[in-house]
Amino acid sequence: MKRLISYAITLLILAAATIQAQTPPAKSIASKTIESLSKGKIELTIPHLGAGVERIVLENGLTLYFYEDHKLPLFNVTALVRCGAIYDPLERNGLSALVGGVMRSGGTKSISGDSLNILLEYIGGSLETTIGTESGSASLSVLAKDQDLGLKLLADLLRNPAFPQEKLDLAKTDLKNLIKRRNDNPNRMVSTYFSNTLYGDHPYGRILDWSSVKGLTVQDLADYHQRFFVPNGIILGISGDFNKTELLSKITQYFGDWKKSSLPLPSQPEVALTYHPGVYQVRKDINQAYLMIGELGIKRDNPDRYAIGLLNYVLGGGSFTSRLTSRVRSDEGLAYHVASSFDTYSRDYGTFAAECQTKSVTAYKATKIITEEIEKIRKEGVTEQELEDARNSIINSLVFRFDTSSKIVSNLVSLEYDGYPPDYFEKYLDSYRRVTLADIKRVAEKYLKPDQLTYIVVGKPETFEKSLSEFGKITNIEPAKPVIE
Amino acid sequence: MFKSHLSLVTCAFLLLTSLTWAQSADVQLDVKKHTLANGLRILVLENHSAPVFSSIIRFNTGSVDEYPGITGSSHLLEHMLFKGTKIVGTSNYEAEVPIMARIDSLAHLAYAEQVKLQSPLNAFDSTRLKQLRQQMADAQAEQKQYIIKDEMWGTYLQNGGTALNASTGNDGTQYYVSLPKNRLELWAFLESDRMANLVLREFYSERDVVMEERRLSDENTARGRLAEATAATVNWASSYRWPVVGWMSDIQTVQREDVEQYFKSHYSPSNAVAVIVGDVNADSVFAICEKYFGKIPPQPLPRPVVTRDAPQAGERRTEVEYDASPMASICWQTPQIGHPDLPALEVAANILSNGRTSRFYKNIREKKLGTADAGADYSRYPGTFSCDISPYGDHTVQELETAVYAEIDHMKSEKVTDWELQRVRNQVDAQLWRSMDSNRGLASRIANSEIMTGDWRDFLNRSKAIKAVTADDVMRVVNKYLVKKNRSVVSIVRPEGEQPAAAAPRKNK
Repeated sequence: MKRLISYAITLLILAAATIQAQTPPAKSIASKTIESLSKGKIELTIPHLGAGVERIVLENGLTLYFYEDHKLPLFNVTALVRCGAIYDPLERNGLSALVGGVMRSGGTKSISGDSLNILLEYIGGSLETTIGTESGSASLSVLAKDQDLGLKLLADLLRNPAFPQEKLDLAKTDLKNLIKRRNDNPNRMVSTYFSNTLYGDHPYGRILDWSSVKGLTVQDLADYHQRFFVPNGIILGISGDFNKTELLSKITQYFGDWKKSSLPLPSQPEVALTYHPGVYQVRKDINQAYLMIGELGIKRDNPDRYAIGLLNYVLGGGSFTSRLTSRVRSDEGLAYHVASSFDTYSRDYGTFAAECQTKSVTAYKATKIITEEIEKIRKEGVTEQELEDARNSIINSLVFRFDTSSKIVSNLVSLEYDGYPPDYFEKYLDSYRRVTLADIKRVAEKYLKPDQLTYIVVGKPETFEKSLSEFGKITNIEPAKPVIE
Repeated sequence: MFKSHLSLVTCAFLLLTSLTWAQSADVQLDVKKHTLANGLRILVLENHSAPVFSSIIRFNTGSVDEYPGITGSSHLLEHMLFKGTKIVGTSNYEAEVPIMARIDSLAHLAYAEQVKLQSPLNAFDSTRLKQLRQQMADAQAEQKQYIIKDEMWGTYLQNGGTALNASTGNDGTQYYVSLPKNRLELWAFLESDRMANLVLREFYSERDVVMEERRLSDENTARGRLAEATAATVNWASSYRWPVVGWMSDIQTVQREDVEQYFKSHYSPSNAVAVIVGDVNADSVFAICEKYFGKIPPQPLPRPVVTRDAPQAGERRTEVEYDASPMASICWQTPQIGHPDLPALEVAANILSNGRTSRFYKNIREKKLGTADAGADYSRYPGTFSCDISPYGDHTVQELETAVYAEIDHMKSEKVTDWELQRVRNQVDAQLWRSMDSNRGLASRIANSEIMTGDWRDFLNRSKAIKAVTADDVMRVVNKYLVKKNRSVVSIVRPEGEQPAAAAPRKNK
């Protein structure tokens, strides 16, 4: 009994302290009008299977989502493919990017890349492939009258890409140029060094080098395709002006005899949850300091992701209404862009990062304020009003994720690809509604570690008004000229 | 390449099966237009496929309407339009007025000091300026007790607003947001309020923000440096010569009253259009707009911009030293929107660089020389036809320039092919249909057309004009405009005496 009472008392004291600390926010002259015009329930229909969208799995494992929508004479397909740079060995870093590029540019075994270009451009259509860190994709967009042709080409490209030598050479030249220009843009530099410092050689943090690209062969590309482009690793999302029965018979015709693979996906290298506190100053002759401050965060299956989303919204994710923008930009005029992000979408540990660019002479001041705000939100959490505002923004804008049939389909395809349940969006609202002030406080304490922060600064440290040494041990980095021989 | 006969056969077959082009219907849009007594044009396109709408308010005012001393004001106003009004973003406007007056007079004194600083003939005391700035900051801190920060922005976000922002260009500024359908009246209230009751609060600290924006986007990227130098090289007299963000010295010194005056003269209802596309009823939109925007008093249109460049008489070249790999911009002067040569120039740009079948792609990128992108302006005042080039590997800007000129010369002497023209026509149609899938995109096209030409159908008409362009037209305009004496070439070069950092082993952790 005694313990219970004291617990309650503590709560009361805490509540009183909170009330005292928070003077009620002043209301504007227009606040009543704004309030009265902000009423009315916001109409939201969460898409689910059966309501317009259907899902079918072919015998070979190819999964289809489709939405028949005759409003416009358009036909769109997005295919997500289970592959990604996450599976690239370090010594073949760049392989996925090359496969994604050459798959399209090289065409198929029956129609060359150049003919594909001629054909698609002539009908005003597009078919593009790309492979990112944790997924590959192919997107087709044609007018409805060209849907049969489009589907044929898409199937041919997914199943029989040619990977000709000359297109591989061209793609390598593009990458070589990208590598060569690596240190041209401070924005690109700061994020490259940030990820590399946090992740090292893990695929989330690798720096693309010519040494791992130059030896890649067309056989490597073909092997990759053979390994990952299998019907049971692909989800197709189709929307637009088609007839379902006809579409299904075509899909069966073009994809049905594709043999499924029994090989499981390779395991993904794990991110070591380690911290790299310190200040890393990367030299570049510019008149601003580009700052990126952060550390490893969470994996996407972490149930705290909703509370973290709201926490980050208040800290620096909610644009002008966020604390970082309010202080660094609006109060102090120190930066045009200042924001924080807390990645809750990666399979493995994503990052928390705050960033801004400020003139060299205020580098210290901006760094100090950002650090203070991280410490403050960790210590004090957020106010009820802040939580409510963040929650309303996230919930009320959900309708825009479903305002066209192609968005509805691609959202559902992504859910399945990422392993979320089909009722994810229905639960999504509740997951945000349930978050309490105490949850925010708890996740802030748990996941923000001010003493472990990595500070990456691109600029000219000798022009800063004060050394950044109070934020950690300083390491100076002279960016090396990329080796591209 | 040995497979090419097979692909060509396949290709020809596939082409035949898809040659049903003529049957595709023209895009028809039921846009309804209503002009308020004060001149504000409201355009509505109903689309009931989702319970949302997109809005754009576009003013026919951009950096081209500015003058030296206040360059960057349209853009600075873009920031100020989110800072509140006499009733939004303030708990007590009356109390703010004297504080802002005090800040303004301090700013005048600071301005006088800044002017002194610019000339070596003046004795300059830096402590005085520092002192004034501190006093301004103190006064602003005092004003802060009345300010409710970013109330408009926050209100939109909490009501589900997305695609919320504003943008400023040479020719116009636009303010946009997409909202759930039952927030139309909220939109009309907030937007009409800022058109009528804007208060330029936190003006001087926002100048600092804009200076950071300038450093970020114009000074610390090679593209930004190139764009700024290009505009100033091409335009000797035209107001396109200064950057949209403004010259640094103007941003540093521009006074609140100057920008307020500019706002009063240029941001009137008659100089604007409001476009709504989405799940709304056009008559209700007109009624709501009458109620909120109708109260704003009418005023004459701002002074048109009449300063023009004389025809260019000789090639111009500019170099900008910057620590980045080389790149360049080549520009030829062209006429303004409405001129019948523009569609043919657009077709030329398209054939040169749009897509993987384009001539630059085939003959420059696939030959691994580098990238080249062409574009043709449709601007309020005379603009340019431009090519941005960026060499690969050890190739030089000069080599790329030569390659670009070779392609252009080829167009001067030989007609573009029927296939190329048909490709462009088909793409125009397909893109138009694709644009129908976005409320936001449509609103933008409608607003842009209406404000630039007085006819919202202009983007549809332009598509028709492009489809009517012939091979002779292309040859004629290329010969007419893309000539050496009408050309400017601006390039980024490494700082003299500096080589990029020496190769060293990279540190991976």
